[in-house]
Amino acid sequence: MSDPKLLDVVIVDDHSIFRSGLRADLDATVQVVGEAATVDEAVELIARVRPTVVLLDVHLPGGAGGGGAEVLRRSSGLLESVRFLALSVSDAAEDVVGVIRAGARGYITKGSSGRDVSEAVAAVAGGDAVFSPKLAGFVLDAFGAVAGEQSESSEELDRLSTREREVMRYIARGYAYKEVAAELFISIKTVETHVSAVLRKLQLSSRHELTVWATARKLL
Amino acid sequence: MAMLFVVASGISATIVVLINLGTGPRGSSPFLFVVALTSAAAVAWSLGVDRHDTSRSERYGAWVRSVAAGIIIACSLAVWALQPSFINSVFATAFMIAGVALLAAPRIVALWSDLITERTARVREEHRAEVAAHLHDSVLQTLALIQNRAGASSEIARIARAQERELREWLFEGDAAPTTDCVAEIRSIAAAIELDYPVRFDVVAVGETPDDAPVALVAAAREAMLNAARHAGGEVSVYVESSARTVDVFVRDRGPGVDLDTLPADRLGIRESIIGRMARAGGTGSVRHGTGGTGTEVHLRIEEQA
Repeated sequence: MSDPKLLDVVIVDDHSIFRSGLRADLDATVQVVGEAATVDEAVELIARVRPTVVLLDVHLPGGAGGGGAEVLRRSSGLLESVRFLALSVSDAAEDVVGVIRAGARGYITKGSSGRDVSEAVAAVAGGDAVFSPKLAGFVLDAFGAVAGEQSESSEELDRLSTREREVMRYIARGYAYKEVAAELFISIKTVETHVSAVLRKLQLSSRHELTVWATARKLL
Repeated sequence: MAMLFVVASGISATIVVLINLGTGPRGSSPFLFVVALTSAAAVAWSLGVDRHDTSRSERYGAWVRSVAAGIIIACSLAVWALQPSFINSVFATAFMIAGVALLAAPRIVALWSDLITERTARVREEHRAEVAAHLHDSVLQTLALIQNRAGASSEIARIARAQERELREWLFEGDAAPTTDCVAEIRSIAAAIELDYPVRFDVVAVGETPDDAPVALVAAAREAMLNAARHAGGEVSVYVESSARTVDVFVRDRGPGVDLDTLPADRLGIRESIIGRMARAGGTGSVRHGTGGTGTEVHLRIEEQA
């Protein structure tokens, strides 16, 4: 049986070399309880093991060819209890926005160190969203928060509040949540609340630009 | 040469007509074949040889082909009109079709070669996509793994990262002409500095990037990035935000931090190359400590003169 103090994690990636590398790198706070290499394997394994967090590669073979986003859609009944953290070598917007909108709680690049991944796992397990600077940049772009055109939309889901925009901007500048909190004279908890709210908007917004932008633009 | 064939065809056609006028169809058949053969040869020559000869004009080829086709059609019509028998109408029809085919020949040849070119291009593109997908899945993964196993600022990780960047550019940009906007320039500066220093730049860009970013902004950003690489190293965040009227660049490191007031006067880097340069270009440059005493953030800002 697994230790209750450890976070149960499933790694979903089609490259065994990456899985074993990541497993060796993860902190002692994280326990890998299973690995899957294809969409079908992942869906089956996640439903059976019910880990706390799934580290999910964006590009996966198998299933209907939908990759990580397909795993999320087919596991949508479990999203309440199982958190997904997307892992990708690709910074391409459509990949990232795709898995986030399918229900992932955050996104981190595969170049991240084992410690960073472990911290992100802990954050996601605690209910927080994990935003990399790049993802924050995507959000600012997708919501038109820079060009000043976002006031056109009256839909609350389709726009960022001033505070949310500030938080996103600091994250894009490379500030950790703790540092953002100190800069804005607010608590870390408040920063986390803002980030979660942005994640929710990113997932639920029907902002036309969000989808068009994501496919039209391939950021490196 | 094509001209010779045309002339030969014309002569034989005349003979055919004369024979038919005088003695009847007997004896004209061999000449009819000569007409067909020489006309076909004229067209084949003009399409196969003359077409690649730049000293011959397009018009010359068209002229050869129309005359050859004209001779065939006229000859067949004449034979058929003079001796309307069953066999002659079959011949006449066949000759008419051949004549029309001669006229259409260049079109068909052109269509065919277009088809071949298109197919070659498609095969090449498919092959490239296949290679890209494979590289994306395997090589990029391996490079990522090397980087996080080797430690972010080790020599090996730097090499792997440089390689990853090159591969990524090739994969995602393909044959598109390299862009020269301000973000692209900052990215390539980051790549160049990463090769020389144990540093890793995370460049995030937001907004529409202006093509004509002031040289001073890019130069000051380069200086700020070099400073971060030299004095702090490790992870450095670069954030470029551009709107219609302003461009902001933030370069943030996590090093020990600098104090402008205690900086010796000969350290021109920050004072001159960043703050002074931005001021001269009509923008602003500022340096501040990160929260908690660690890290330095350089903020460059330039506004478009409206």
